[in-house]
Amino acid sequence: MIDLIEVFERAEIGPLTSETDYYMKRFVPKLTELIARHAIKWDKQTLVNSDDDLTDRVFQAAVDLLAEAGAYCPETNRVMEFTREEILLACAECPREATFGEGRERKVMRGRRPDTTDDRPWVHVGGGIYTTDEQVFVDTVEKMASFSIVDSVSVPSILHLRGKDARVRSPQEVLSACKTVRLAREGIRRSGRAGLPIINGISAASQPASMFAASYPDFGLRPSDGFLIDFLSELVVGYEALQKVAFYNSLSANIGSTSTPLFGGYAGGAEGVAVVATCYMIMGNLIFRGSYHYNAPLHSKLHLSSTRPLIWAIAMSNAAIGRNMGYPMVNLPYLGGGSGTKQYHYEMACYMLAVVTSGGNVFSGHPAMAVQSDSLVPDDHKFHAEMGLAAAKLTRAEAEPLAQKLYPLFGDKLKDPDKGLTFQEVYDARTKRIVNDDYLKVIDDVRTELGELGLEVPVS
Amino acid sequence: MGHEELFEQLKQAIIAQDEDAVLAGVDAALAAGVEPKTIIDQGLLPGLNVIGEQFECEDIFLPELMQAALAFQAAMAVLEPKIKESGNAGPKKGKIVLGTVKGDLHSIGKNILKLLFETSGFEVWDLGIDVDLFKFVDKAKEVDADIIAMSALLTTTLVGQRDVIEALKGQGTRERYKVIIGGGATTQGWADSIGADGWAGSAYEAINLATRLVS
Repeated sequence: MIDLIEVFERAEIGPLTSETDYYMKRFVPKLTELIARHAIKWDKQTLVNSDDDLTDRVFQAAVDLLAEAGAYCPETNRVMEFTREEILLACAECPREATFGEGRERKVMRGRRPDTTDDRPWVHVGGGIYTTDEQVFVDTVEKMASFSIVDSVSVPSILHLRGKDARVRSPQEVLSACKTVRLAREGIRRSGRAGLPIINGISAASQPASMFAASYPDFGLRPSDGFLIDFLSELVVGYEALQKVAFYNSLSANIGSTSTPLFGGYAGGAEGVAVVATCYMIMGNLIFRGSYHYNAPLHSKLHLSSTRPLIWAIAMSNAAIGRNMGYPMVNLPYLGGGSGTKQYHYEMACYMLAVVTSGGNVFSGHPAMAVQSDSLVPDDHKFHAEMGLAAAKLTRAEAEPLAQKLYPLFGDKLKDPDKGLTFQEVYDARTKRIVNDDYLKVIDDVRTELGELGLEVPVS
Repeated sequence: MGHEELFEQLKQAIIAQDEDAVLAGVDAALAAGVEPKTIIDQGLLPGLNVIGEQFECEDIFLPELMQAALAFQAAMAVLEPKIKESGNAGPKKGKIVLGTVKGDLHSIGKNILKLLFETSGFEVWDLGIDVDLFKFVDKAKEVDADIIAMSALLTTTLVGQRDVIEALKGQGTRERYKVIIGGGATTQGWADSIGADGWAGSAYEAINLATRLVS
């Protein structure tokens, strides 16, 4: 694989072009052409694809996209070009596993192939949802870490200091990031699993200075945690991201290459998102030197990932990488329904059926309305992890009819999703026990319904 | 070929995002003696309306929208000088200064909005991403804008929208402009709390909002 300094230099020697020209003269026409060249077509119905030939064509299109359009560095206004040989060599040499955590919590996340039914996927829970209060933050983390099936956590965000929000690039952002990390580790220690890894301790949206400061070992993060570095717009590789790449590679820390291809944006529809999401995973390994990929495609208007075309595209990108590369992947599900609602659980079950059978690891759902503070309810995430483990016992062909039965239960509600609950509405503040019987009944009911549909979800 | 047929060809060329066909259609219409403004109103804009509807229904996406807009802009590059020559230049709907606020590097939503504003008849000054607050203020003053439109995707950058309004107040020019906001992190509640004139949850809502505010 070409070395990292060489990768950085590609941002300084490629052809000069404006961002608009990059998109309109390179990216968009090339993506359109590749979708036609490789005959990539979604039938507007399938949720879980099991056509391996189509899957492999998506992978080839993703390789071709990077080879023929290149990536774009806005700071230098240059296209970062890579040859097909360099890309394929990087794919061949990509990590197939990543080791996270310390002590007895030290475990290995593996890249999975589609239709693997005899392994136990990595189980990751949580999400970067805002919390109003430090106590709620610590309680949320402690609760999630206490579930024995959990292998790693994403922690909420706590962006304010002395009651005020920290603005981006401010000194307060640095202090908030350090505080978030300290409190997250404290919550994890309280669960009795101090070595459990955090794989998004610091928001990918944070400036490099905040991420680097919060990575200071005294605050509680370690190279065996995960550090998210994201792409900006489609195939755009900014200097801030490359600064993070330089730093975390120097620490030999686990980098989670992160991407959010937008359905309806430059990638276009389902076919384009499938190709671009796959391309990002290739770039995550080649450019960011990731240990794993954090795949988060999103609908540009609805800000969620559980629409029919997106579920197909996300599953497809997992299968394309799983079959052709083996890079470990988690997928962040942005779901329309609020925490604790039936809609939220149906969406999650459908997403898990598609993504986990296609080669993804298990990652619990994130209510799309992340701006609703304190809406991370840990027992939802335990239930979702259980769904993921149940889905892992199925093949894609077995999952498809189940997903088709589930989709009508929420598809029409995505534009006006059910509102959900907050941490405080579910748990007792002192004992941390569930005190909302209705909340438990919804989980019990959905678990029964899923069993009746054919997806048995055992209680862990 | 009758004028109606020419207009239909232009409309279809825009829908097909075919710049060459659009330019050929414009040439044919001019050769047939059609007024440039009529070409826009009866040929190009009906095509853009269809493109807009297709974009809203997710039949097409940003790349097709941009191609159609570029074809439209190419046609306008031919037609606008002729309109000016004839002295029949009608006023634009309004002048908009647009950008993503300081600290925010996200551009896609803002780019969509720029295209839609332009094809809806507004004159747009796109300041780009990560825009210093006084750039909004200074550009609005320089071009005598009607509207300042600001996008923010991140919660940590929202305050940039508030700061622009505060700067306008500080300079005593707040009432000269309508200020509208949008972006993933924004809500109507946020818009109300900072004293914005409007909030839009989508690009099309923003077009309607801007049109309402300048009418």
